[in-house]
Amino acid sequence: MAITWRGTELRLLLPLVVLVPMGFALAHIVAAGKPDPGPLGLALAYVALVLGAHIALVLLGHRGDQLLFPLAATTGGVGLVMLNRLPQTLAGMNLFGVEVGMATTQLVWFAISLVAMVAIAVFFRDDGILRHYKYTWALAGAGLLVITFLFGTEINGARLWLSIGPVTFQPGEAIKIVLVVFIAGYLAEKRALLAGANRRIGPIKIPPLPYLLPMLAIFAIVMVMVVISKDLGIALLFYGIFLTMLFVATGRRSYVLIGLVLFVAGSYVAYLLFPHVHVRVDNWLDPFADPTGTGYQTVQALYAFGRGGLFGEGLGQGLPLISGHIPIPAIETDFIFTAIAEELGLVGAFALLALAAALVARGLRIAILARDDFSSLMAIGLTTSLGLQTLIIVAGNAKLIPLTGITFPFVSYGGSSLLASFVVLGLLLSISHRTAADEGTTG
Amino acid sequence: MTTEDTLRILILALQLAFVGLLYLLLFAFGRSLLRDLRSAERTREAARQGIGRLTVLESPEDEPPVGRAIALGPINSIGRNVNSTVYVEDDFASAAHAMLTFRGRSWFVEDQGSTNGTYVNGHRIDRPVALSYGDELMIGRVRMRLER
Repeated sequence: MAITWRGTELRLLLPLVVLVPMGFALAHIVAAGKPDPGPLGLALAYVALVLGAHIALVLLGHRGDQLLFPLAATTGGVGLVMLNRLPQTLAGMNLFGVEVGMATTQLVWFAISLVAMVAIAVFFRDDGILRHYKYTWALAGAGLLVITFLFGTEINGARLWLSIGPVTFQPGEAIKIVLVVFIAGYLAEKRALLAGANRRIGPIKIPPLPYLLPMLAIFAIVMVMVVISKDLGIALLFYGIFLTMLFVATGRRSYVLIGLVLFVAGSYVAYLLFPHVHVRVDNWLDPFADPTGTGYQTVQALYAFGRGGLFGEGLGQGLPLISGHIPIPAIETDFIFTAIAEELGLVGAFALLALAAALVARGLRIAILARDDFSSLMAIGLTTSLGLQTLIIVAGNAKLIPLTGITFPFVSYGGSSLLASFVVLGLLLSISHRTAADEGTTG
Repeated sequence: MTTEDTLRILILALQLAFVGLLYLLLFAFGRSLLRDLRSAERTREAARQGIGRLTVLESPEDEPPVGRAIALGPINSIGRNVNSTVYVEDDFASAAHAMLTFRGRSWFVEDQGSTNGTYVNGHRIDRPVALSYGDELMIGRVRMRLER
């Protein structure tokens, strides 16, 4: 593998050398009340990791897209600055009896995730293992869901965590990727059939259902399991990915229409049947009806957005404490966007969203330029997963849609989320690499 | 000016610098994105005259008839299945024989696991291959040429 110079990528990564340590220093100066930048070890370690990953890609001759990784690294850097600013005791791990703080734990996960990303981007050449064993993957994913449902631990009302020894992780993140792989494989194979013949019921063209059934069956199993484990955010995400990939593969708007109708119907049924959905929706419609109980999180988040305003309270200067801690629960995971919006304002929040949008744009570009249907569809699915996930959690924070237990990719605290996001990035990079290698260019 | 004032100024300066640098980076991303979009736009203009058609050169069963120019869309299925975009009535063609797709800047043909294989300019293909205008495609005993 010849060494490939990735100039654009380096150019876009270098500002992080200043940005991240500056963020750390700023938070410390505010907290300490004197011009003392404080310990910058974590910030410098992050920068070193990011540059190290870049160097690895260069040395290993990677020719994929050069904007994807800088976008993720910048988003992650801002996230790390925020996580470092928050009280370190909010989360963390216990490593051989030593309590490790939140930001440090996140950095460790960054290291693991970056290694995974580079490995997948460079060494994942033959996607045959994905496309030829798609039913195996699908069943493995469904199986994982069943295990989580039966043996998982319930946190915050949703059973989506599995504990193996000292490690707790979210299988939902892995299943998300498996789902994309399965749907991509299935649609690539059956694409012509699904886009072609119709039967008619009166004036309406009905798509050929027998060809859809295997996919619908597996998808239904996934959805049922997810809904039972009370993880509505992931259910919405899966459904969105599924519908997007279906539309892209077949080009038929009728599928999307039917899908949306089913969604509205299903949501209404869920609202009537499941008490936790009922609570979430009522809380979304009027959180001030119960501001200290079920509406507490939403109300506090709204106050935070209000305090932030256009330019924010300033890093380290917002998020007033109530009886010693921050009144917004899950601020390091589900509500990290709220924290950023309060301290960096609309300006900062918009920057983060612009980064996410750029990431989606690059992902779609990779999908368009991909060599074969499977890679193209997989790129669509992976890009949708990142974009839709960001959209769902930001909209939930801002009370545009009901709140769900989903994380902000690259920003939220959490190893599973970070690892999954970087695996997605690695897969996108490997698809982009294969396109560029065939064309003799660098993405 | 007290030390508190200098501290406040320092903090304010840092806050501005932080967000400012973030936005500079955003603009750099934006420039790269736009640059790629513009180059893609240029190639799309060139291809706008119509992306291509298949001219039938040989067809023992006369379906499609020799000499016909089959208009192509962005995605085309080729095979013995009557619902295919390019319907080929030949005993040596499979129901779903191949896919001819226009992607990015060029045509790609991908064999769909057919029994007798798909041939490009006489060579059997085993993975998706880029086609140029003028290349000949062999599905069963039907030979077609990709033209503009």
